[in-house]
Amino acid sequence: MTEQTTPPFLEVRNLAKRFATRQGREPSPWVIRDLSFTVNEGEFLTLIGPSGSGKSTLLNMIAQVDVANSGEIVFGGDVIGVSDSKSLRPGLDRRIGYVTQDDNLLPWRTTLDNVLFPLEVQGRLDEKSRAHAETLIKAVGLSGYEKYYPHELSGGMRKRTSLIRTLVYDPPVILMDEPFAAVDAQTRIQLQEDLLRLWEMGRKTIIFVTHDIAEAIALGDRTLVLTKQPTRIASDHKIPFKRPRNVKDIFALEGFATVYETIRKEIQ
Amino acid sequence: MTAIQEVVVAPAGPFLSKRMLIILGRCFFAVLLLWAWQWSADEFGMIFFAPPLAVLQRLYEMAISGEMLQHVWATLRVSAIGFVIALVAGLALPFALRLSHRLTEAVEPYVLWSQGIPKYALAPWLILWFGIGDTPKIVIVVLMVFYVIFITTFAGIRAVDRRLINMARILGANETVISREVIWKSMQPFFYSGLKVALPRAVGATIVGEFLVSTQGVGYYIEHARELSDTVGVFAGIVLATGLVLVINGIVEKMERIALAWRPQDREMSH
Repeated sequence: MTEQTTPPFLEVRNLAKRFATRQGREPSPWVIRDLSFTVNEGEFLTLIGPSGSGKSTLLNMIAQVDVANSGEIVFGGDVIGVSDSKSLRPGLDRRIGYVTQDDNLLPWRTTLDNVLFPLEVQGRLDEKSRAHAETLIKAVGLSGYEKYYPHELSGGMRKRTSLIRTLVYDPPVILMDEPFAAVDAQTRIQLQEDLLRLWEMGRKTIIFVTHDIAEAIALGDRTLVLTKQPTRIASDHKIPFKRPRNVKDIFALEGFATVYETIRKEIQ
Repeated sequence: MTAIQEVVVAPAGPFLSKRMLIILGRCFFAVLLLWAWQWSADEFGMIFFAPPLAVLQRLYEMAISGEMLQHVWATLRVSAIGFVIALVAGLALPFALRLSHRLTEAVEPYVLWSQGIPKYALAPWLILWFGIGDTPKIVIVVLMVFYVIFITTFAGIRAVDRRLINMARILGANETVISREVIWKSMQPFFYSGLKVALPRAVGATIVGEFLVSTQGVGYYIEHARELSDTVGVFAGIVLATGLVLVINGIVEKMERIALAWRPQDREMSH
């Protein structure tokens, strides 16, 4: 509204992706084509789409662990090509964090050592950052589990560990790929509330992918609906509910049903 | 937290008696083995089979006179030097090849083909080159050990979860850190499997080398005893070599248990 004139914080331009065609077969179809969108600074953007709509592929390309066939990302004034596998920079010099669908914790590291891992490899491990890590561990209720290995933790605890492992080094943009899809409903609500609380503390820019409409509405400032393959943006919805939000009560809010219905109809 | 403790504590009752059974069973087989040994000595005669007590006495005499230490040291020295060289090369090469896919494609078949050379067939040629000191034996040990380490390291690197590497890159890890903190840690099970095959091989290769060319060492002792038709000496040497390998394996297993404490299966199955 007021920020129409300033350039967007992060922009994805004309992204396209198809997987390599095997010899002697039909060319493989486009997974993603002509996909463009923007995110503002401090915005919580949720992306929702049918399963198989290339949501993970999209985030992998923005995180630059997967190569696009064409397209670019505009971030911090730089236009970054993402269609040359040689020039990919995973995580864009620690400016884009990525909480993947699987927790991808290092199984030989304890909870604490997993959370400290990014600080360690970035050479930023000191008294202050260590204290910050311990604050985060406390904030998500993992106190007492610092010395546990991932296989000794529940699914929800592993999710929290992987979440704060990204938060601990404070990347300006965080991608999240259905991070709460694999946990039970009760734990999911708790994790969503943890996430919102942590987000209120720092207001990072978040791009959050989900296939759960209620989750997209409960968490997001804005929700983008994706089409079936080849994936593009179908529509863009501003989520009108004010913050701080209470995830448990989101269904009872006035207007929730309307927003829910509108989005549901657009998902094919 | 409690659930985890329960899993560990619960089977303690029946577990103990099972353990006792296993120990009893092992004692039984030890006695059986010693009896079979003694029986064979009685049946086939001293020339072919040395009785266990005579072997024990010989080992005792060797230990007292310091002869044992001298031979063990000679064998260990050659095994250790060869082993360390092979270990460094067998680890460094796959880690270097990891950085270039094309180089890997070019080099790997040669490594695998050269593995087919029967190493002991090279012994006469190596003696020709290096004389009769430690060097030809060390070269044989290196050749025997290198392939085991190389192949297990390579397999270990290939088995690393790509997603963990991608995650580490996103978190800001460079290739050195990824090698050290992700790949090296992740391939520990492969590494220890390799060690357990490679270490007895190193000692075995040294002993065979000593049969061919040496003036001391366990292999020399066995071969020398054979020349004198001293069957007790041959057996004492074999027992000594076996003991050496068992001690080394014991150390490796202890190291493995400490290094792999994070693995769930090692916790559940540890005694």
